[in-house]
Amino acid sequence: MTRTRATLLEVEHVTIRFGGVTALDDASLRVNAGEIVGLIGPNGAGKTTFFNCVTGVLKPDTGRVTFDGHEVGALPPHRRSRLGMARTFQNLQLFSGLTALENLMVAVDAHTQRGMLADAFRTPLARFEEHRAEERARALLHFLDLSDRADTLAGDLPVGLQRRLDLGRALVGRPRLLLLDEPAAGLDTRETAQLGELLLRVRDRFNVTMLLVDHDMALVMRVCDHIYVLDFGKMLTEGPPADIRQNETVIRAYLGEAVS
Amino acid sequence: MTARMRRISLLVVAVVAVVWPALLSDFSRSLATDGLIFGLIVLSLVLLTGFVGQISFCQYSFAAVGAFTVGSLVSAHHWSFWLAMPLGVFGAALVGALVGIPALRLSGLFLTILTVAVALFFDRFVLASGTWNSFSGGLSSWVVGRPAFLGIRLDTSYRFYLFVLGVFSLCSLLVWNFRRGKTGRVLRAIRDAEVAASTLGINLTAWKLAAFATSAALAGLAGALLAVSIGSVSTGGYDLIHSLGVAAVATVMGVNSVASAAAGGLFLVFGPEILRHLGVSSQWFNLITGGLLIVQLIVTPDGMVTDTQQKIRHLLRHRAAKRASETPAEIDLVSANGQTAGAPAPAARPVRTGGQR
Amino acid sequence: MGALAFNSHLIPGFTVIGIVLGGVYALAAVGLVLIYRVSGVLNFAHGAVAMFATFTAYEVSTVKGAPGWMGALVAIAVGAALGFAIEWLTIRPLHGRPPLVKVVVTIGWLLVLQTAAGLIWGATAYHQPVHLVSRDGFHLPGANVTVGYDQLTTVIVALVFALAVAALLRYTTLGNAMRAVADNPDTARLWGISVNRVTAASWMVGSAMAAVAGVLITPLIAFDTFSLTVVVIYAFTAALIGRLSSLPMTVLGGFLLGLAQTYPRVFSSLSGTADLVTFALVLLTLGVLFRPGGRKVRVV
Repeated sequence: MTRTRATLLEVEHVTIRFGGVTALDDASLRVNAGEIVGLIGPNGAGKTTFFNCVTGVLKPDTGRVTFDGHEVGALPPHRRSRLGMARTFQNLQLFSGLTALENLMVAVDAHTQRGMLADAFRTPLARFEEHRAEERARALLHFLDLSDRADTLAGDLPVGLQRRLDLGRALVGRPRLLLLDEPAAGLDTRETAQLGELLLRVRDRFNVTMLLVDHDMALVMRVCDHIYVLDFGKMLTEGPPADIRQNETVIRAYLGEAVS
Repeated sequence: MTARMRRISLLVVAVVAVVWPALLSDFSRSLATDGLIFGLIVLSLVLLTGFVGQISFCQYSFAAVGAFTVGSLVSAHHWSFWLAMPLGVFGAALVGALVGIPALRLSGLFLTILTVAVALFFDRFVLASGTWNSFSGGLSSWVVGRPAFLGIRLDTSYRFYLFVLGVFSLCSLLVWNFRRGKTGRVLRAIRDAEVAASTLGINLTAWKLAAFATSAALAGLAGALLAVSIGSVSTGGYDLIHSLGVAAVATVMGVNSVASAAAGGLFLVFGPEILRHLGVSSQWFNLITGGLLIVQLIVTPDGMVTDTQQKIRHLLRHRAAKRASETPAEIDLVSANGQTAGAPAPAARPVRTGGQR
Repeated sequence: MGALAFNSHLIPGFTVIGIVLGGVYALAAVGLVLIYRVSGVLNFAHGAVAMFATFTAYEVSTVKGAPGWMGALVAIAVGAALGFAIEWLTIRPLHGRPPLVKVVVTIGWLLVLQTAAGLIWGATAYHQPVHLVSRDGFHLPGANVTVGYDQLTTVIVALVFALAVAALLRYTTLGNAMRAVADNPDTARLWGISVNRVTAASWMVGSAMAAVAGVLITPLIAFDTFSLTVVVIYAFTAALIGRLSSLPMTVLGGFLLGLAQTYPRVFSSLSGTADLVTFALVLLTLGVLFRPGGRKVRVV
């Protein structure tokens, strides 16, 4: 199956070394608009390093990362969000002291201009933006089926709902590209299936492209249009789920790990 | 608390705050005034520690900037209080931002050490009498008279009290507005998960510095008012122990509640007074505060005021839920200690430590 | 501004003072680092403990007339007892809470001990220092300075205690247990080490050292409840120079601080130069040695 859409994210021949260890070795990857691309690999393959490179936490030693035509290799993480890149966190990094609603509102706040002074005196602008932020946040909560938990502290939510909230937080800014870091970590089979459904709905509703890094084969096989396989820092192979499922090299790389 | 209940209780508090002191003696009134001024310093900690999670043990140093600016400008250079005070507040904000700069890169513990070092440095070097004698003819001559507000001289204790009450209420309202709005959300987000906040596009540096500056400004304002209230400025009242004491009281009351400011300030003033009435040396106050701090951290980590508010909220929610006769499982959703019944253990649990991280 | 002049003839004398002061700082700092490494708590009440213990020595020897060394022994006992009390009563119940909470608890203890001492012995009164050894001295050949026996004793005692702790950590079972707990309490527990007992021991030893430092420092600084309590900041600074982990560097840091605080007085008699220097050093060490992304040293 050919991938014909426009390329949104292009990682070209990236190498990253830590001391004597080559974490990524000439790794390349492409994500086209509207796709959900998965990156899998056994433990220690370099998935986290790759992810950190794309999100801007690490700079590649060689190679290039291009997003929507812009070269972003040197851009720090908080600048990438303005370009349209958003990410979720493996360890959630939710704002545990804020309610679910406030967590989403902060994501809107981050892009508003008003400062402390406007807030302090509740100027009409502040009130207007506040109202709008709340509306957007509530709409997203509704989509995520979290409306009944709007006033619950994020830290009090069960893990499954926290993951949903994390996802919502990344979506608030209407990103073009969503990077998901082990979104199924800590979820059971049922919750993972729900997550898969949610991701597909998100893709359709928000027209957002995704790059997904995870261990959970069920999720990846189900949700992704195209899969890349990483091992020892090198890209082993790539292809649609059906091909990857039967690929000998991949199966051997996982040393008999059950590929469902 | 529903909005209506909050409005009613605020109204009651406002009436009491305005009417009752009219019936008190001059002495009690001036105590209450000082209580509100100290309350401003506690408020500054609510902003810094409660919102941003940054510990500061040098708030009195910022207050000193405000006090000394007013003291020197009004007394020695005959400026009007209304010009000197904003300058003092601004100066304090500046110093606050300066302290905030190294604080940006330091985590909790080292930030604490830094603020203690700042307090000590201020106390023993900047405020040392040698430094200031040359500035304007000796500290002992720094007498600050009561200014006139809109033509009325604030020379009676009741008038001055009302003025301070107005200032305190305004500042509390501002901090409360912060909490409800974007500022509170952003600052608390930075406190909870810096990296995520940064990823969303929040400028950590700008916000943290702004928080430090605003907190210091509040303390500076308190210092300026203190200079007027006492009528003079001396080097003695702004040392490390004072800063530690106010931090301790703020923690005991709970840095997460704006109401802690008034409670803390009044506690700082009337505590020693009550002790004196009981025939006990007021020196015991610091000891009791330290003891309370230790006990509170172990027993009610959120602080007395915050804890009480939570309990009231919980009680009201419980009663409302009962009235609506919902199933018991719904009530368990958010219990007092934040446990969610019947759900797998959440990965990220809010750690209730009264705002310190 | 105080008189600014270059009084070069003061240098040898000030060097001696700086070294003596530095020795005391080093001793206090080593105790602080020990407590920090083993229990993970930066004890802000370290100076207050030293102060309180020193005052009991003062009570025993200067007031009641017992010999100086007996007062010192009492101070050590009181210091160890206080350290144990703080750990057992107020740190242990906070197990599992963020480390910063435990640090704030020590602030509470600072207030309690400081005020208690003020109530018992008078907050602002000046007290006669505790003398362990005679104040006579000997003339140092070559340099134009007299070194007091008490000054010499101070440096020697400080170094001896510092070495004793190093020996304790290296060669005794308790010391090995302490190092194991400092590295990783969970692993240490798996090895059968009673983390609670070892932690309590570290607090006792550390606080005892603080007590000795307190007794030694009384002839050098204003002996009142406040000054001794804030010596903790100087101990902190030395500990920071040692990156809160290396004992030799901590000792070195102590001496460095002592000299750095004393030498400026060769130039100026401005009060508070000690604190200016300390502040500068604190900023410097925090900025240089504790860069984020640098080697993590069990940072709280």
